[in-house]
Amino acid sequence: MRIDDQALSIQQQLRRSGARRRRQRLVGHALVYAVMIFLALLFMLPIFWMASTSLKLPREIFAWPPEWIPSSPQWGNYAEAFGKYPLGRYMLNSAILVAANIIGGLISVPIIAYGFARFEFPFKHVLFLLMLSTMMVPGHIKLIPMFWLYQKLGLIDTYWPLILPAYFGNPFFIFLMTQFMRTIPRELDDAARIDGAGAWGILFRIIIPLCRPALTVVVVFTFVWVWNDFLEPIIFLRDWDSYPISVGLAFFQGRYSVEWHLFMGATLVSIIPILVVYFFAQKHLIGGLASIGIKG
Amino acid sequence: MLSLWRNMTTQERRDAKTGYLALSPWMVGFVIFYAFPILATFYFSLTQWTLVDPPVWIGLDNYVRMFTRDPLFVSSLKATTLFVALSLPLKLVLGLMLALLLNLKIPGMNIFRTVFFIPAVISGVAVSLMWIWFLNPDTGVVNTLLHYVGVQGPYWFWDLNWALPSVAIMSIWKVGGAAIIYLAGLQNIPAHLYEAAEIDGAGKWRRFWRITLPLLTPTLFFQLIIELIDAFKIFTEAFVITKGGPLKATYFFLYYFYEEAFRNFNMGYASALALFLLVVIMGCTVFVYRTSGRWVYYEN
Amino acid sequence: MKLLFNRKTMTLISVLLLLIVSIGGAAAQDPVTITWWTLASAESPEPAIRAVVEAFEAEHPNIKIDVTIMAESAYGDLMNTTIGAGEGAPDIAYFWETPWLPHTLDITDRLEADPDLSRDDYFEEYFNNWAVYNDRVVGLPFTVGANFVMYNKDVFDDAGVDYPTADWTPWDYIEIAKALTDPDKRRWGGDRPRGPFRAIWRNIGATKPYSDDSTTVEGYINGPDAVAAYTWLWDLVDSGATPTPADIEVLGTEGTGPVDLFIAGRLGMATLNNGHMITAANAGVNFGVVPEPHVPGNERFVHAWALRASIWAGTEHPDEAYEFLSFWAGPEGQRINMEIGALMPSLPAVLEDYPDAEADYFQGFMGVLNATQTAEWRATHPCWRGAVIRAVSDAWDLIMLGEIARDEVQATLDAMVEPAQAALEECVPRLGG
Repeated sequence: MRIDDQALSIQQQLRRSGARRRRQRLVGHALVYAVMIFLALLFMLPIFWMASTSLKLPREIFAWPPEWIPSSPQWGNYAEAFGKYPLGRYMLNSAILVAANIIGGLISVPIIAYGFARFEFPFKHVLFLLMLSTMMVPGHIKLIPMFWLYQKLGLIDTYWPLILPAYFGNPFFIFLMTQFMRTIPRELDDAARIDGAGAWGILFRIIIPLCRPALTVVVVFTFVWVWNDFLEPIIFLRDWDSYPISVGLAFFQGRYSVEWHLFMGATLVSIIPILVVYFFAQKHLIGGLASIGIKG
Repeated sequence: MLSLWRNMTTQERRDAKTGYLALSPWMVGFVIFYAFPILATFYFSLTQWTLVDPPVWIGLDNYVRMFTRDPLFVSSLKATTLFVALSLPLKLVLGLMLALLLNLKIPGMNIFRTVFFIPAVISGVAVSLMWIWFLNPDTGVVNTLLHYVGVQGPYWFWDLNWALPSVAIMSIWKVGGAAIIYLAGLQNIPAHLYEAAEIDGAGKWRRFWRITLPLLTPTLFFQLIIELIDAFKIFTEAFVITKGGPLKATYFFLYYFYEEAFRNFNMGYASALALFLLVVIMGCTVFVYRTSGRWVYYEN
Repeated sequence: MKLLFNRKTMTLISVLLLLIVSIGGAAAQDPVTITWWTLASAESPEPAIRAVVEAFEAEHPNIKIDVTIMAESAYGDLMNTTIGAGEGAPDIAYFWETPWLPHTLDITDRLEADPDLSRDDYFEEYFNNWAVYNDRVVGLPFTVGANFVMYNKDVFDDAGVDYPTADWTPWDYIEIAKALTDPDKRRWGGDRPRGPFRAIWRNIGATKPYSDDSTTVEGYINGPDAVAAYTWLWDLVDSGATPTPADIEVLGTEGTGPVDLFIAGRLGMATLNNGHMITAANAGVNFGVVPEPHVPGNERFVHAWALRASIWAGTEHPDEAYEFLSFWAGPEGQRINMEIGALMPSLPAVLEDYPDAEADYFQGFMGVLNATQTAEWRATHPCWRGAVIRAVSDAWDLIMLGEIARDEVQATLDAMVEPAQAALEECVPRLGG
């Protein structure tokens, strides 16, 4: 009874201050929008310049004074860029690689992270640090041994070298997921255990659904990294039709000069799939524990 | 090790078995994708190897040279450390601030979230080429804008004092990627804690310090280690833009490694450099890891 | 049984068996496959590469070409990786790094015995500098590249300055650049060299950066002629008639040259190459070509290069590989690339047919192709590119940034002797002289 009274009085208080709060919120929103729009413009300047460059003639690109909006936009530049190299095909190849890597990450990462986050076992900290250490190795140092190995296995000129590692867990994601799982209260595990769930049941029924924001990060970041990876495809692929978009873009950097207008245009088009995926994925970034009213 | 196992209870043993089982895919991958190349690198670091001829065993000579008579080793380490010291705190703080802004529940926020993410999705070379242009002292956007307000902008990448900060500015532009991870971390702070604090009359500032920040420490810990590793591995900017100059101001460690390995055909020495960097980053990571018990709060 | 194996059936079976055997015999004569790595570029675009393969396969039905077309920016990494791993090499590729050369097939005898192709078909300087190593032929020079000064006639006319002529000196260059510079139009007269010991260095009289036996830098990188060359550079920087290093580095990718500024009409003169020349011609720039300035009495050098096309030493089909190499890097292949792309063949007889061969600028370009190349020394000294240049780059940066006074040039160069000598001594035992 006493608690109900208290709750009631708080509600009344809240209602009374409602009008003032609404006014405050409106001013606050306007302020936030102003800040966000200013920052967004600042961040977008380079992108805007890329777009502007992509619509210019070669000799206009470095003219003085610079033209922010080309007086005669060369929309044909885009057609030229896509006619010069099979960029559409390359984007499709990248999409295949991305999908295969995402599947690998979504399967392997939660399981491995679950081991680190929820169980105690000898040498756990050593293993964890070892896992972190794999991120510290410069990619170039692995090229020669891995090339040798894949050559021996006959996997050069196939997608396997670009896909396989994802199925053994990317350390960045394992670390992220481990940190994330550690913030999930163990009470939830215990409740499920009382309901008869085993260790794996807890992972799949309780923990993974709560990890949606982190899994979204896995999806989005895998997309970005695989989409942009340049060195490994160059080393492991041979077939003209099998290249990913990152290699396709590199063709615009010629021996003697860069075809800036084509390069910028093709780069802008190439990031559209990532942005579309991210735009729709981000609603899953919002969620997790914040959305369920559990009592700690 | 056996006695360790024997002293465990049945429950502990079952836990350990499940833990190892969960880790097993990673362990297999570790052996194939990391242990094998690292062991190979360690072997190469004990040899003189031009890539072209078979490696010749020279023992610790590469390491002796590194520590006793290589001024470039010292200067590249210095440039890298400076870069880490400059970019790491900026990226951590700005990333968090951006994430807090993006976490506000106001209409249209998903568009802003996408906008700030764009810089993080464009690949290294394209970004570098674009920044080359952007910070061009003569025609670049930044100096043009500065010119309008009557300021003579610096030479950026080719200014002794500005070259390294220019690279840091580039990396900060990509802070949207870090912000996403903060954003994901913010989602695991239970809403009821905020509600309770609000009822207690805690202001926004107080709620940030008392709830958001402590409960975000696992994510902060993650970001700290990841950004630390990332900052030490700075390479593409030096490779594409500055070529290590001017006066070795941006001659970063990995750039030195790359030059030695693939331009100077000194793979043995380059392998020693790579392993040294691994040890340095590992040392920093272990240090952060050790202190984490004191400032990282996990739920349980 | 009788029903199954009557005479007819037996005949059929034996015919079938005969057929199988004969097919098997034909299979043994299957075409040999040659793997080939090459790069797509404006000069040699993908359609030209395909056309070369098609034309070759039509002529040689017994040889198949398995081509891998790559982007230039990671080709070096790939070659290094392949050589380092000792696995997965192609039969034919570009071998542009000198340290890769031990892995090339010696084709001296094959070329000598070739009735259709001889070393005399190529530009002499290009063949000697890019195809020959330690007196053996290690490949064929594919296309020609050279630096020269391009001048924008419109800028000269606008400033009322006479066009430069081949007999100009480095000091003329500075004076002309000053006369062309116009800060209001954001226009500079000329650019700066992009590295020491290139043509203009040698033209001023500076010798190589270290002794021919690769033992000492003292007296070479800081000798009187080197000081004269660096002092000339100092004067050029001081004149304010050149864009800053930031602009040069920024606009020329991989340090090949500020062609973008030149095309935009904001640089009166620029040391560019034949690739840039085509770009400028296509952009409709009104320009001329002269050799880099030099001091009367000194030999004239040109900074030049070719793509070295070679056969992998470990190839299983050296004869077929040579067939293809001599086609691709010979007159037929280079002509196809010239016609479909804009390649400048390394064979004078083919280059004469270049579509723009009659143009005024092209004649200027032809003039530099027979000059002595700085590459004659550079191409065979990997220690300069890899180690020594890095040790002396501080002196370069200091002058470029305007950080030292004119009379400090000698002292600055002297200070470079110790690190350069150390770099040389570290490098020479490793990579040879």
